[in-house]
Amino acid sequence: MYFIVEDDASVADALESLLSGAGLPVRVFASAEELIHSASLKPEDTMIVDLGLPGMSGSELVRHLEKAGATPRVIAISGKSSRTIARETEGLSDLKILRKPPAADWLEAITA
Amino acid sequence: MGEVEDRKTAVSEARFESLLDTAADGIIVIDEAGRMLAFNKICEALFGYTSEEAIGQNVSLIMPPEFARSHDRFLANYHRTGERRIIGIGREVSGMHRDGTVFPLELSVGEATTAEGRQFIGVLRDLRSRRAVEQRVSQLQAQVVHMTRLSAMDEMGAAMAHELNQPLTALLLYLQAVARQIKAFHADGKPPSDKMLAVLDKAVQEAERASHIVQRMRQMVEKRDPERATVDLREVVNEALDLSEFVAQGATVTIRRVFGMTPIHVDADATQIQQIILNLLRNALEVAKESEERWVKVSIGSDERSAFVSVTDSGPGFSEDVGKSLFRTFSTTKKSGMGLGLAISRAIAQNHGGDLMADPGGNGQGATFTLMLPMHRADGTEDDMRE
Ligand SMILES: Nc1ncnc2c1ncn2[C@@H]1O[C@H](COP(=O)(O)OP(=O)(O)O)[C@@H](O)[C@H]1O
Ligand SMILES: [Mg+2]
Repeated sequence: MYFIVEDDASVADALESLLSGAGLPVRVFASAEELIHSASLKPEDTMIVDLGLPGMSGSELVRHLEKAGATPRVIAISGKSSRTIARETEGLSDLKILRKPPAADWLEAITA
Repeated sequence: MGEVEDRKTAVSEARFESLLDTAADGIIVIDEAGRMLAFNKICEALFGYTSEEAIGQNVSLIMPPEFARSHDRFLANYHRTGERRIIGIGREVSGMHRDGTVFPLELSVGEATTAEGRQFIGVLRDLRSRRAVEQRVSQLQAQVVHMTRLSAMDEMGAAMAHELNQPLTALLLYLQAVARQIKAFHADGKPPSDKMLAVLDKAVQEAERASHIVQRMRQMVEKRDPERATVDLREVVNEALDLSEFVAQGATVTIRRVFGMTPIHVDADATQIQQIILNLLRNALEVAKESEERWVKVSIGSDERSAFVSVTDSGPGFSEDVGKSLFRTFSTTKKSGMGLGLAISRAIAQNHGGDLMADPGGNGQGATFTLMLPMHRADGTEDDMRE
């Protein structure tokens, strides 16, 4: 299962179109809190998370899931500068980062 | 014009002359035929003729040729019809120095009836220096307005990139999705589905969202002459608030809009008015951010003559001391402040025939800044005012 956590409705919808168009199962959440509240993730899941979420941030969500023992594959998306991204994701292992706007085909990057 | 009337009798010739020469303005007296009867010291300096040279000559001597020709006609016309074009009015005219230099003058003309017939007394003021100062001031003002726009841009730059990023990301992902599907359908020999077309529509919407952001930013940056138009103040303010939400994004300050239902028409340069609103809003957001309640309220109202936009915040207000120099240029209490926001905002407001007022608040009340603009005066019907 692919979990999208993105507060911008259009970006979330476009990403969903891309994944579900390829026949992948997708669930979309507008915030970290929403995901924590209503889903439990397994190691074989993939979470695509915006780093700049309002409320609990993307990296906080990843840390929260790690602590809870649920460690899905994580792909972080962000439009911030590389320096900010590095600072925000410090200490997080195994994290693929996709920068907005996309420079390459994201479906390939996500399913790779 | 009593003095002139009396000059032959009460005031001696000599005294009249010294009176003329101590005057700070140029003074010329002419008769009905346009002949100069008096020409004071200031005029000598202005025009480069001595009074001996000037007196007795036609006043057209000190006018550029195109005016000289019509002056005699003016005089004749006035004698015939009594129609006043300049007497008692005062206006800007051109003078010509002996060396041919043409320059602007403010001229006011009075009329006196004497035993020798009608005489006209002209008071002249050289407008060159005043004009230069005025030009400099308006140049500076335009520059300063442009500067704050740019510094606002600086702050917005990062936020803007973020804002543009979202529609561009969505747009590209929609296009990637639809491109894949078209390829797959094409391989199967099927025509594109409605679903793909729907995704394409969404892509177009996102592209429009991106270009709208760019357009609005461009409007803010481009330096242009004031363009007055009849606008609905609510729309103008709304747009500025939308724009500033770029800056406030992610921030926790709530912006409350208190607008009425009816349009409030003013004659204004919308971009300049937005500049004022943005300045007020930036100040308000800065203090509201540090306050407990974290809100800024923007309300719009009007009475018969004036429209008002008030910006209130949940901050602490300002002290009497700060209040004294608030609108002065370069007066700031902030480490990195320029102290230009309010000064420029007031200048723009006054240029529009309005004003900017400040209420200090205090005792738990935030400051309130109120922009006042004259209401548009409806000459025709109120309804078809707007396109
Ligand atoms: N909403 C406000 N509440 C309290 N003080 C304010 C407010 N707005 C402006 N001021 C005061 O007025 C000063 C001048 O403001 P401004 O002309 O915008 O310049 P700057 O923001 O660069 O300091 C500020 O430094 C601040 O002390
Ligand atoms: Mg300011």
